[in-house]
Parts: sequence; structure tokens; C-alpha cells
Amino acid sequence: MASASSVSSAPASSAPSAPPFRQRPWVRWALPLLLLVVLVVAPLVLSEGVNETLARIGVFAVAVLGLNVVMGYTGQVSLGQIFFLGVGAYVTAYGVQNDWNIVGVFALACLIPAVAGLLVALAAARLGGLAIAMVTIALPIVGVPLAKRLSEFTGGSQGLSARFAETPEWTGLYDDQWQLYVVLVIGGLVFVLTRALVRGKYGRAFAIVRGNENVASSMGISPYRYKVLAFTIASLIGGVSGFLYMLVIQYTSPETMSFGHSIELLAAMVIGGAGSIVGSLLGGAYYVLIPELTNQVDPNLTSLLQGAILLVVLFLLPGGLASLPRALTRGRRRTRVGRGPAATPSTPSSTTGSATAEPAPTERQGHA
Amino acid sequence: MGTFVQLVVDGLSTGSIYAAIALAIVLVNQATGLINFAQGGMAVLAVYVAWVLTNEGVPLILAILASIVFSIVFGAVVERFLMRRFERGDPDTAVVVTIGLLTLITGVAGWLWSYNNQQFPSLFPLDTVQFLGVSVSIRSIGNTVVIIVVMGLLQALFVGTKLGLALRAVAINPESAAFSGLPVGRLLMVGWGLAAALGAVAGALVAPQLTLTPGMLDNALVYALAAVILGGLTSPVGVVVAAWIIGILENLAAVYVPFIGFDLKVAVPFILLFVVLVVRPQGLFGRKSVVRV
Repeated sequence: MASASSVSSAPASSAPSAPPFRQRPWVRWALPLLLLVVLVVAPLVLSEGVNETLARIGVFAVAVLGLNVVMGYTGQVSLGQIFFLGVGAYVTAYGVQNDWNIVGVFALACLIPAVAGLLVALAAARLGGLAIAMVTIALPIVGVPLAKRLSEFTGGSQGLSARFAETPEWTGLYDDQWQLYVVLVIGGLVFVLTRALVRGKYGRAFAIVRGNENVASSMGISPYRYKVLAFTIASLIGGVSGFLYMLVIQYTSPETMSFGHSIELLAAMVIGGAGSIVGSLLGGAYYVLIPELTNQVDPNLTSLLQGAILLVVLFLLPGGLASLPRALTRGRRRTRVGRGPAATPSTPSSTTGSATAEPAPTERQGHA
Repeated sequence: MGTFVQLVVDGLSTGSIYAAIALAIVLVNQATGLINFAQGGMAVLAVYVAWVLTNEGVPLILAILASIVFSIVFGAVVERFLMRRFERGDPDTAVVVTIGLLTLITGVAGWLWSYNNQQFPSLFPLDTVQFLGVSVSIRSIGNTVVIIVVMGLLQALFVGTKLGLALRAVAINPESAAFSGLPVGRLLMVGWGLAAALGAVAGALVAPQLTLTPGMLDNALVYALAAVILGGLTSPVGVVVAAWIIGILENLAAVYVPFIGFDLKVAVPFILLFVVLVVRPQGLFGRKSVVRV
């Protein structure tokens, strides 16, 4: 999935003369269709371990996507996204343990984090700039002792485990395949809806708020309202990822929403690519795969390596992994055209000082 | 009554620690306009340096002084070689860089010295003194006094010296300062170094209580950030007062409000924060900033 869409997004703005590859009608239909076929077939042919890993990547890709809505697209640093995943997971676990209807549980797992996010945002978004980061850092730090305290609902430090969405008999699928399908359907739906959101009217409003709040208000776009909206949507998506988390991992404890995990989620988003749908997928993959890798190197080095990777990516590729194809094509073009000074007027790397200032020209632009 | 006074004095002591870290954050923010989430992490690293030195048999006070010198250098190096590149750019990216730095420092400390709790010797004896019929711990008074003295020194530096004047000029307007011939880059390094030194003092004072771990100051950072918001980023005095209020209130709430207790007292500054944000968004003492397009 990741590779297919990253290919499609890469040359979007590069060649105005020839119709870009992805704009040809048959490509526009064939690519998503191919993707769909791959997604339907893949769980059947892959091994159990791979399926489980993919399902976990799906869970955290959704969480990263939520963070991207508020941070990548709207430019508000949030350190609390993991809290909403935790709330969603707890709501799901509690509902399942009390034998509530699973559709109702899902609705609550979306609704309760969304309301919590709305309340937080109503207060936090009043302050401009980095204050949202400074307030949301409290969510995981307060969330962990709060979850321990509310042991009637959360099972205290021991946490809750819940199994649900048993594989129906008629499908003849194994558990891992069924889980992956559920993650793909719900996660896929969230991705499609979010993509529509950030490319539409609201996405443009978010982009303006991110670019310059004063310009936004002069255009009649209330930065406060859109910040609150973005944060609420991010919390809702966090709740969905919490539901999926319970589905796949089947266990949650206060540790789920620890400060460390919150930072890892943010790092995953930045490394995957801020303000990018594909970047969210890559971020989810990073979140799941890199700790496994670094643990194999040396568990004591995990935090060190993660910090180092984050800093290296910020230095070399501020747009994250999702901007890699674009950076590569740009590099190639530069070597080809190289001689003319006009060839690379807007290349960030040519102006060292403001390299990071320019928000990477993400997919959302160019789709008016 | 006895418990009450004791709680207030202890609260003042922890509040002073938050105040020091909060002031460090304000110092960096004034100079570079960004929030350094690694401020606590850098302080922890300094405490580890002092801890290693005391294990080598260096007297505690010398070890702490050495860790402060280390912090000044470390802060300057971080500014020059890590943050410089991101300072003029998107503040969000710069913030993420400081978060990456926090992760990295925590990782380095955990890797070198493990994640286990280490005992750090206290500068002050653990005894209590009788004061107006109430017993108060010497450590709490000592911590408060040290932090107040350090703040006084900083204030003297900023108001009374040429270096302080230059630092203030850079904080107010880097471009104009550069036009006047001030070495802005070097002054920013000094600013970061001073902030790191302030954090190192706070870390060394609080380490005996919390025991030394790589994540020791994560909670303190959260309190400090709350104090920064409550006090307003533009008001150092307000930040210190807010930190004291937070320190005292959370101690009182932990004892007198049964639901909060000691485990949930970290929520106190944020309940306070939410109330203030709704009522007075610019902070208790901050000025409302007006931006021209």
C-alpha cells in the first residue's frame, strides 16, 4: 500500500508539460483497484506472524494519522495523542467485558475520546503557538495515574484484557486473517475519510491556520475553531485506533498511554512524514518495526537509537520518509539541469538557514 | 496547623525546583522563541555527571559545581550544533528537535548508567528544625534558599552587567542586536548555557528526594511547563510565583483532597491551568501579545 501510493504522489507537481503518469485515466483506476486486490489477497497468503505485524502497523498507522490531522496538517504540536488511544482502548475493553453490543462499543470508543479531546482543545487552543504542546504533554502524564486510580473501570495497574470479534464460522478464516481484515476495513475507511477531509475545504482551512493564523483570521477562518476541530478529529481517530488496539493486542494497561509511548508516536509521525497520508502509514510501520529492530540490537539502546534516528531524519529529511521520492527526483533533476541558476530556486537544501522553515509542499496542495 | 506549615514549606521547596526549570525554559524561549522540552533531560545529564564524580570521591559541592560547568558547555554546544539550524525555521520542527534531544539524552543516560534508581547524596541534612513550634525540614528551606540565591544572581547578571544587557538585546530583537554589532550566535550559546546551568542546580537539589533515574525530571518538566503557561512566557517573576503556587497547592491537595492523593497530584497544576486558560488566556501575569500582520 505504502509503495503504491508513494509512487503515485511523487511526480505530482514536477512535470507540467507531459501528462503525469498518474493522471492518465487507466492509471487512476488501475492503481486503487490493484491496491484493493493486493489488500484482499494478502492476508490469505501471508504467514500468521506477518499478518499480526501488519495488523499492529494498521493500528498505529491510524493513531499516527490522527496525530497528523492536528500536527501535520494544522500545525499544532500534540504530545497527547497516545492518551486518546488509551481511552479508546479502555472504553472498548470495559464495554466488551460488560457484554455491550460491539457496534455501540465502537461508537463509544470514538465518541468518548472525541469529547475528551474537545474539552482539552477548548482550553488549550486558546493559547497560541506552542502552548498546545505544553498542555497536551500533561495528558499521558496525568493519564497513567488516573487509569491506575479508576481501577473499577480500568483494572488498575494490572489492566484489562478483552477478546472480541471472534472469527465467524462461515468465513473459514484464521484469527489473524480475520483481525487483519477488520483492521484493514476500519483503518482503510478512516484513511479514506481523512484523506477526503484534508484535501477538501477543511483541509485548506487547516493549512492556512498552520501557515499563518493572522492570515487565516483575516480570511474569515477562525484559527481557534479550526484548531479545536482538528484536535477533536484527531482525538476521535485516536479513539478508533484504541478500538483496533484492543482488537489486535487484546490487552491494555496504564502503560499503554505512557509518556514514552506518546513521544514515540510523535517521532513516528515526523519520521513517516508530517502532513502526509502515506507518511502516516510509514509512521505506523516505523512505530511497530523499529523498536523490534533496536531491541534485537540491544534493549538498552532502544531510546538512544530512537532519539538519534529522529534527529538524523530532521536534519537530513525534514519532510520525513514520505518526502523521500520527491527529494530524490529533485536531486536527479538538479544534476540534470544543474547548470542554470534558475533551476533550483526553491530547493530547501540550497538555503541552509530556512531549510526547515518551508513546510514541505505536501499532497494537499495542488488538489484544489 | 503543624502539618499545614510543613506542607507549605515543602511545597515552596518543590515549587522552587519547578521554578528553576521553568525559568530555564523562559530564558531559552526569550532568546530563541522556542520551548526546550529537553531542559529537564539536560539537567538529569548534569546530575549524572555530578553523581559519577562523587562516586570517584570528589566532594559533593565540587561535583555539583563541575556539573554546572559541564551544563554551560553542553547547553552552548547543543545550541550551536543542534538548535542553530532550526531556530529560524518552523517552531514546530524545532520543538520536535528538542523532543528528539530529550529521547536521545534519556537513552544515553539509560545506556551508560542503566535505568535503575541511583542514590544521590543531599547537600543538606535531613533533620528538621523547630520554628515557631512547627517542625520544618532543613532540606526544604535549603533548596528554596539556594534557588532564590541563584535567581538573584541571574537577575543581577541580566540587569547589572554588560553581558546581561547584550543578552536582553538579543532576546528582544536579534536582527537589531546583530546590526549593533553584537555576536548574536555566541550570545545565544551563552543563553542556552545559562539555562542549562539553572537546570543543573535544580536537578542536583531535587535528585536526593526523587533518586536519580534518566526520567527523573519528566514530571518536573510538566510542572515547569504548567508554571510557564500560568505565569505567562513574558514574565519571569510570574513564572516563579506560579511555580510556587503549583508546588504548594499540589502538596496541600495531596493531603487534604482525598480523591487526589499523592498519585494524582500531578493533575493539580493542570486543573488550575484549565481554569486559568478559560478565564485569563494570557496567563496570570503575562501580557496579551498583539501581532501585526
